[in-house]
Amino acid sequence: MAQPVFPIALCALLLLSACSPPPKISRQTHPLPAGVDIARSEIGRSGGVFIDSSPGEPSTFNPLVSEDATSGGFIGLFLDSLVHNNAVTQEVEPGLAARWDIAPDNRTFTFHLRPGVLWSDGHPFSADDVVFTFQAIYDPRFPNRAAFDLSVDGQKFKVEKIDDLTVRLTTPQIYAPFLETVGGVGLLPKHELEPAFRDGTLLKSWNVSVAQKEPQRLLATGAFRLRSYQPAERIVFEANPHYWRADAKGVRLPYVDFLVTKLVKDANASTLAFATGQTDAEGLSPDNVAWIDRYASRYGFSVFNRGPSPNTGFIWFNQNPGHDTAGKPFVTPYKLAWFTDRRFRQAISHGIDRQGLVRGVLFGRGQPLWGPETPANKKWYNPNVTQYPYNPARSRALLAEAGFQIGPDQKLHDRQGNLVEFTLNSNQENQLRVNMATAFKENMRDLGITVNLSFLDFGTLVGKIQDSYDYEAGMLGLTGGGDPAGGISVFSSKGRLHQWYPNQKTPATPWEARIDQLMSDQLHTLDYPTRKKYFDEVQKIMSDETPYIYLVTANAYVGLKDRWKNIRIPPLGSLVWNLDELWTPLLTP
Amino acid sequence: MIPFILRRLTTLVPMLLAVTLLVFILMSLAPGDFLTPVKAQRDINPALIAELQKSFGLDRPWYQQYALWLGNVLHLDFGYSWTYKVPVAQLIAQRAPATILLSITSLLLAWTLAIPLAVLAAARPGGWIDRLTSATAYFALAIPEFFLALLAVWMAARTGWFPIGGLTSLDHDFLSPAAQFLDIAHHLILPTLVLGLGGVAGTLRVLRANVLDVLQAEYITAARAKGLSEKVVLFRHVLRNALNPLLSTIGYAFAGLLSGSLLVENVMNYPGLGRLVYEAFIREDQFVVLGSVVVACSLLIVGNLLSDLALAWSDPRVRYGR
Repeated sequence: MAQPVFPIALCALLLLSACSPPPKISRQTHPLPAGVDIARSEIGRSGGVFIDSSPGEPSTFNPLVSEDATSGGFIGLFLDSLVHNNAVTQEVEPGLAARWDIAPDNRTFTFHLRPGVLWSDGHPFSADDVVFTFQAIYDPRFPNRAAFDLSVDGQKFKVEKIDDLTVRLTTPQIYAPFLETVGGVGLLPKHELEPAFRDGTLLKSWNVSVAQKEPQRLLATGAFRLRSYQPAERIVFEANPHYWRADAKGVRLPYVDFLVTKLVKDANASTLAFATGQTDAEGLSPDNVAWIDRYASRYGFSVFNRGPSPNTGFIWFNQNPGHDTAGKPFVTPYKLAWFTDRRFRQAISHGIDRQGLVRGVLFGRGQPLWGPETPANKKWYNPNVTQYPYNPARSRALLAEAGFQIGPDQKLHDRQGNLVEFTLNSNQENQLRVNMATAFKENMRDLGITVNLSFLDFGTLVGKIQDSYDYEAGMLGLTGGGDPAGGISVFSSKGRLHQWYPNQKTPATPWEARIDQLMSDQLHTLDYPTRKKYFDEVQKIMSDETPYIYLVTANAYVGLKDRWKNIRIPPLGSLVWNLDELWTPLLTP
Repeated sequence: MIPFILRRLTTLVPMLLAVTLLVFILMSLAPGDFLTPVKAQRDINPALIAELQKSFGLDRPWYQQYALWLGNVLHLDFGYSWTYKVPVAQLIAQRAPATILLSITSLLLAWTLAIPLAVLAAARPGGWIDRLTSATAYFALAIPEFFLALLAVWMAARTGWFPIGGLTSLDHDFLSPAAQFLDIAHHLILPTLVLGLGGVAGTLRVLRANVLDVLQAEYITAARAKGLSEKVVLFRHVLRNALNPLLSTIGYAFAGLLSGSLLVENVMNYPGLGRLVYEAFIREDQFVVLGSVVVACSLLIVGNLLSDLALAWSDPRVRYGR
């Protein structure tokens, strides 16, 4: 097709054609709904195209199918929920429900929907849609993630329609993260999806193929609606002409006309697209900040430090006393005795030079971490946990107390004379983690401990940790943040991700029993100070007992083009969470 | 002729069986499965994982999974993509046009450049055209495609003359149809060059040798003796005969282009089958991988069949079936 016969002439022609600005769209003007929400942000100007990139492809546009953050992010742009979680304040705000009442039993929530809200096809949004959404979620024909998030001990919530604009939800017991959880549930259009619900094909609706061929069928209540989807190339959203928010002058939000997401193959390509001025916003990893900053003035962007990220990194020892089907213990018994000794774990923790890790691995862009939450989670972070600053002398004292001693070979031995040696497993895909493991090995050598490093494929590693339990020590990370309820599978001794000893029938230690109790208690009260007190204690116990030896948390960085106004950067989650309020005085990029 | 085609097509069945069986065994031996990333998320309920495992059949041994898949294939059902919840056939059909477009442009590039150059080079062996094309061809053959792709991306990023990957610009949706066409053409230039250059070199070397061979033939001397112009001799008599061996390799060439495009597409961010298959492999989305293997095998066999037929059509001495 394109034989480069006259390459120069052709290129010139193409360059000309590539520079045409996007056409100004005329927005359909619909009257604002009676229940319009007036944004308190600065008044802006309509128009413009916001461009970003995504290193992952959405796997679906159906919230019942979505399990990954990428798909969830795109779905959140067009499907709105009853309430919103404000990313900056971490408070719950009105969404499609203008207000709600909580009955004195703390289990009954009555939501009053905004009057006059329409779906993007002009059909009214009503309580029927809310009831339909919960029906679909709870239907056993459609196994989905939300069904488990929206139940307490396997019991579903009761959902009743009071009238067209009022819905009542009742939880079986008091359920602390109720509002946050409901805030994550995108409400589905009953009039569009009911046929698929009836014939059992609901999970196949709104898949990538429908999105490509009939984007207009993905009805929206959010700020945007899907305009086109080209797999592996781009997703274009346009302003939803029926969106229910407006600014103080009565101009309907969102201000931007189009939201274009370039789909790229990995995080490097995404970063490169931003660094060469192609996109408007990008989350940056600490090791990329320095070189990207050099292009800031050429392409008119700035790099912001969001402070500590919600990502934790840690090392742990396998404390599982069980054995495999052949009767072989998962962990050699004398090693299990070290790993279950708190003094041994604390000694290891004191032996790690975390400041060195921050300097050497994160180039100073991070800070030491002492507990399960990072300061990014403002609402739940407990700063008063036990800290283990770098102190090899203290390490040696703790080890001596626990009966370990340095032998004539200058290596550490336990009471029975066994050489202290273990293998640390981590995944090879994460370069920062590989570097940290190497630094850890050096730190341990100073204590006379021999650490062997084993970098595995992520799948193999997860298999060892969760199925075969055939390993000694592991190094991984978890993304924290959000409500404590999200951490139950980690902290509770019954939990699947209670990695040092998962799926316990009864708690192995008194402190694990205490954590179980606290995690259960915090779930069954709506009172924030009480919950905070309980969760603070969980964090304190985790730092005292150090089943996880926390390492460091990297800072999070974002790059953003300077032309955008009304930017409010939250410590957690998506940078452009208030996309409907963004505006730009410069319409062409 | 018809029995010959049928016979060739039946060889497809055992081959597909063997290849899919092999792929299935290798995938089940690989550590982890499709649900591994889900298992590593902290807020996913174990009951959901068990349910998903059951609905995907991942709780059964691999030979049962394979038997189930085979049974479905007999009904022409290639299964669902676990990632996209879309039938595999539909998913492949969604991505195939971009890859086919790229394969055709590269093949066109290879042939339109290689054929005249080879004839000109062979017409004066040792002449400057011959020496120049030989040197260039060796050079092109020596550079692996993925490296050429990286070079191309680097060049595009440095000069800004060409887009860095993709098939369309971000503002493609807002362009007029003519501008959309030019936009696609602009994006195709680099991938076509990268994928086609190796083909140019290979074709050129083979064809040059053939042309040299044919030039020695007595009927060429006869043609010259008749007083035909050199142009007519070269392009009507020599080329016609020299092309035959090349026709029988076009099937391989086509299948080779598809596997080459897997690399090139991933390096150049090109939205075709190659990226789909690569991502499916990484995620262990079994049926997408199997489906694409079936497509690639079928293409190889059908491609070879077509080239044999083309040979029979161009060379009256070749007869099949009797």
